[in-house]
Amino acid sequence: MTQAHAVLVPVGEDLFAVSIDRVSQVVAAPSLTRLVTAPSHVLGLFNLRGQIVPLLDTAALLGLPAGQPPMFAVVLQSRQGLVALAATAFPCRASLGDPVGPSDLPGTAGTYRVKESIVVRLDPDLLLARDRPLRAGENSVSVLPPVGAIEPVGAITRSGSAG
Amino acid sequence: MSILGIDQIRALFAQEAEVRLTELDRLLLQLEQQGGDETLVRAIFRELHTLKGSAAVAGLDDVSQLAHELEELVGGIRSGDLAVTPAIIDTLLVGADQLGSAIAGEPAGVPGTDAGDEPGDEPVVAVLVIDESATPVTAVAPSPRVPMGVETATAPAPEPGGVVMVPMDRLDELVRLIGESASAHLRMGSMLMEKFGVDPTLNPEFNELSRTLNELQERAMRTRMVPLSTITDKLQRAVRDLARAQGKTIRWEVRGADTELDRGVLVALSDSLLHLVRNAVDHGIEPDVVRAAAGKPVGGTIRLHAMQLGSEVIVAITDDGSGIDTSRVRAQAEGQGVDTSRLSDEDIQQLIFRAGLSTTAFVTDVSGRGVGLDVVRTTVEAAHGRVEVRSATGRGTEFRVIVPITLAVLRCLLVESGGQCFALPFHRVVLSQRFDETGQTSAEGRPVIWVEDQPVPVSALAGTLGICGGSPDGPIVVLADTARRHGFQVDRLVGQRDVVIKGLSTLLPHLPAVAGASVEPDGSILLVLDPPGLIQRARQAARGQAAPGRPPAEPSKARHAVASAERTSAGALQRILVVDDALTIRELQRSILERAGFDVRVAVDGLDALAKLAEGPSELILTDIEMPLMDGFALTEAVRAAPDLANIPVLILSSRSSEADRQRGLEAGADGFILKSGFDEGSLLLAVNRLIGARR
Repeated sequence: MTQAHAVLVPVGEDLFAVSIDRVSQVVAAPSLTRLVTAPSHVLGLFNLRGQIVPLLDTAALLGLPAGQPPMFAVVLQSRQGLVALAATAFPCRASLGDPVGPSDLPGTAGTYRVKESIVVRLDPDLLLARDRPLRAGENSVSVLPPVGAIEPVGAITRSGSAG
Repeated sequence: MSILGIDQIRALFAQEAEVRLTELDRLLLQLEQQGGDETLVRAIFRELHTLKGSAAVAGLDDVSQLAHELEELVGGIRSGDLAVTPAIIDTLLVGADQLGSAIAGEPAGVPGTDAGDEPGDEPVVAVLVIDESATPVTAVAPSPRVPMGVETATAPAPEPGGVVMVPMDRLDELVRLIGESASAHLRMGSMLMEKFGVDPTLNPEFNELSRTLNELQERAMRTRMVPLSTITDKLQRAVRDLARAQGKTIRWEVRGADTELDRGVLVALSDSLLHLVRNAVDHGIEPDVVRAAAGKPVGGTIRLHAMQLGSEVIVAITDDGSGIDTSRVRAQAEGQGVDTSRLSDEDIQQLIFRAGLSTTAFVTDVSGRGVGLDVVRTTVEAAHGRVEVRSATGRGTEFRVIVPITLAVLRCLLVESGGQCFALPFHRVVLSQRFDETGQTSAEGRPVIWVEDQPVPVSALAGTLGICGGSPDGPIVVLADTARRHGFQVDRLVGQRDVVIKGLSTLLPHLPAVAGASVEPDGSILLVLDPPGLIQRARQAARGQAAPGRPPAEPSKARHAVASAERTSAGALQRILVVDDALTIRELQRSILERAGFDVRVAVDGLDALAKLAEGPSELILTDIEMPLMDGFALTEAVRAAPDLANIPVLILSSRSSEADRQRGLEAGADGFILKSGFDEGSLLLAVNRLIGARR
């Protein structure tokens, strides 16, 4: 059985997983600036040590209906720079074994079992592809509560001693 | 999608040139073995021709010139004037090597030096002559070729080995990191004050760090600067050549050539300055006999005076010629339906920047003499600058081009609307004024105010951006793009200052109304709006349901209205088919047109274009001439012959500059002809808008 390290991204009742290699860090409730005229899956922009990072609504990208407001931003590395996915609860680390089944949503890559939970793995490149048509549930603009300043969650950094 | 920068264009060109040079080598060796097969010679000609065009677009004039000379040589073989001899093949291969070296930024002429030593071998000499002439005749010191995607440091080194070439992106990264350090330093200052009640400005160490960081930031910005003198030789050469051709005696004077500005700005400005000095020779300075008759000194003078003023650089081009004939401009304007009765002579002079005032129905070479000054204005405005003119009859004319020192820092007017602060680039702000209900009227169902005797529609900025709020009696800021003015009502004016602008992530969809964003000293993010995109959005909204001045919609409704406007906009996008076998030019055209809001498809030659047109229609075809399988003439003829395509306007964009080619394009049914040598964002959009803009 192969093991892959991932960060679990809670979105409402569901859990999604992103390979830890792609996760730069997790930010708690970043202070968002509304990006006017942007599609509704763009929740806003936040400042991550001088870099302007867009926060995207994970549910809307997957075509799921909007649910709870996002509380965390999972910052991903991509060829086009940093981009963040919204999580509705604290993202934690997990090991993924072999897939237990396929997945249907665009931008996903199989279903996994983590303890008693079902986790759907995300393929960030597919999910973030600009020409991928969005499905229903694009009306999920939520205003993030100003919980605090940008605080990297040390336990979930990609590199360094957190390991 | 943002417009490709010169570095990106050069990277694309490097990619394209590598493939084409390999193919050229292969074809030349094949030519040596097989002799002058017509198809083979045509293929070699086409490779060189395409390299020439792409190099010109990438701003590599010496490469383009070299390709041109080789193309002439192959043209001689094609026409039968030259036989395919080993000497000719040698020459062509050496030339191809030189092209490779020039593209790679290596010292020119190395591969051809030996061949050049052989006297009496004309084709070899021809290639080497090119190399020599590539060195500016009037240059004070020859400058080395710049490698692909690499910029030189600011000033020539006093001694060999004293200059390190650094890729532009490394400099950008350095500038960014320094900016972040400065920003973090300011945040730390705020934190000291808020959390510990310590005033950081009373701390000498803190102040010392502030001073060092500021100096570091300024020095880092300076590394991107180049002096204006890097292009003044080219301008002088243009003045000299044109003056000689016209038999005029002209003295050229330069002051402030050491004024520095960001290389990106200078590149954007270069063609406009060339246009202006050519115009000064052609239309400004009178022939010697006329000057003598008027009692003026026989030799005319053209002066270029550059100076830095705050965060802007002013370049003035002055001639002591005849001045602008305002009565003639007035007559021309009236002929085009402009009411000039209330315009002063000064206002009339500004009319020379209007599109169509001095141009003909057939789009002509924009880099030639007597170009429309509207192109100059469009280009300067694209570099976030503005151009002004002052003229006195019989005494001369002065054009002033005013641009920001760097595109990374924009002077902005900060406004608040719907509870959010926005920056509006200052060069697009016409004026701001208090709301005055009595001065407001209505036209076509929307509010209109009078600005300088012209009706200007007004929209609520918040409504235009699809956000709630918006004060019904807040001040109005009038913005302008190249063709229109539009007023936006905001909640309040916050002030004006320099904003360090950053592009948004390319993972986000293109947002025409947003130019970028900036990280503020307090860590918040400030959005910089793009006035042309904003004006277009406001006009679309006004045509739809989101009329300005209405009570603010609920968020969900506002979003619906915005989404609906976006769909309307997407549905109304005009489609353009770009046909060019050169990757560099194809992608450059695509980026320019997509940014201007067109829906762009590309094809690599005439046959591919016809296949694309069979898949779906286009409102305009923009085509090269020289292409494999089916050229641009044949494509134009095929389009005109097909009943369902016959009405599509065809615009030819070519390196071929002869009148015969132009005429042949017309006969084939083309509607316009632009030269690649004079091709830039402004001229392309101008030509495209002339053909299909009226329907937008």
